[in-house]
Amino acid sequence: MRYGFYIGICLFLLIIQTTIFPYIPGMRGMYDMLIPFVIFISICLPIRESLPFALALGLIMDNLSGGPFGLYLTFYFWLFMGVRFTIKFLRVSNKFFLSVVVIVAVLVENMLMIATSVFFGPVRQLPVNAFLVVTQQFLWVLATGPIFLLSLLALAKRLNIQWDGAAPPPNAYG
Amino acid sequence: MFSKKMVLIVGVLILITVNVILLSFSSKSQSTFGLGRVGLSLVSPFQELVTRSIRFARDIWEHYFFLVTVAHENENLKKSLNQFVGESNQWHEIDMANSRLRNLLNFQKAPTHKVVAAEVIGKDPSGWFKTIIIDKGKSDGLKKGLAVVLPTGIVGQVIEAAGHYSKVMLVIDRNSAVDAMVQRSRARGIIKGESADQCRFEFVLRKHDVQIDDTVIASGLDGVYPKGLRIGRVADISQRNADIFYEITVAPFVDYEKLEEVLVILPPQAQDVASQP
Repeated sequence: MRYGFYIGICLFLLIIQTTIFPYIPGMRGMYDMLIPFVIFISICLPIRESLPFALALGLIMDNLSGGPFGLYLTFYFWLFMGVRFTIKFLRVSNKFFLSVVVIVAVLVENMLMIATSVFFGPVRQLPVNAFLVVTQQFLWVLATGPIFLLSLLALAKRLNIQWDGAAPPPNAYG
Repeated sequence: MFSKKMVLIVGVLILITVNVILLSFSSKSQSTFGLGRVGLSLVSPFQELVTRSIRFARDIWEHYFFLVTVAHENENLKKSLNQFVGESNQWHEIDMANSRLRNLLNFQKAPTHKVVAAEVIGKDPSGWFKTIIIDKGKSDGLKKGLAVVLPTGIVGQVIEAAGHYSKVMLVIDRNSAVDAMVQRSRARGIIKGESADQCRFEFVLRKHDVQIDDTVIASGLDGVYPKGLRIGRVADISQRNADIFYEITVAPFVDYEKLEEVLVILPPQAQDVASQP
């Protein structure tokens, strides 16, 4: 049940990101919707389950994207480690904290993409569409990112997904 | 000797360094360490299913409920067709004359290319890179480096081929470069993507004649795109005083936002030397 839930959500997010959003004019600037999901599994699952899952997601995204191989793998790994490290010191039940984590994660991913393009790309200059892409993604994540992450947590709770002693107890999310 | 905290910090620093080195290596060598096809094979069947379902629903809408605009379009197309029949006849005459002259000069025949039609089933998930996933792969004869085109112009090249699916880097991607020339004046340069809707046409010497609306075509010298394939039209030209090259912006003929089907050019078959009388 639990694995079906995770794989189903992953597949759904991958498919809408690559086959539906690119064809809807207003949604072409959508942020990487797997970021809230990686944060979700980092918070809620034990490391032996969530880390392989995050790495597998990174690998698949690297396969589907035209960026250098390992870019998403790198980002999801460090996002996972960062979230795991942060929740040792901060309360995860704080909705404001979760919202900030999603927004910051999307911005950091964009910075990583820009840095990769500039330092490892054929031309050492900022992509011409950099400002537009970052602005669009920032506005989208501001509007939907926190809601999406909190919905994932609520959905997991409602479906009575079993928790395996991960960082916080399930009733921590209200 | 060392505290636990120190070991942790050193471990993280080493991990970051290794990570940056691997990322640098993979971006320079375009290597996927043998893992490049796993995700394609796993996710692409689902992408194909969703894309086909959406197109099926849209086709029903356009073919059965949207026929008023089709009638107008039909009239316009008939007018265009009449015009193109005349032009086609003219080109046919030129083609025949060209063949005769080539035979006289004992030239090798232009290679005939086999093409495979493929459907676009997915696009790059990020806004930073411009790639598409198509529903043809190694089993259809595709491999890395093959040119992908449309009748209107160049689309890109295959950068990863799995069993039944392939990833194609579009011409507008920042990592793309096409050896090109202006069709009218034969001025040569390199078309580079900008990850936006337009491309830059670089290294065109200012001594050459380039004008707005000139057509830019592939020169064939990069070994990927056959000579003569259309790329785009010159949209803007600027000249800096100290520079020996033009700064040219090219608007591609292909609308990359609306790509649905593409043609992949397979490697040319053994050509017979045209030395017939």
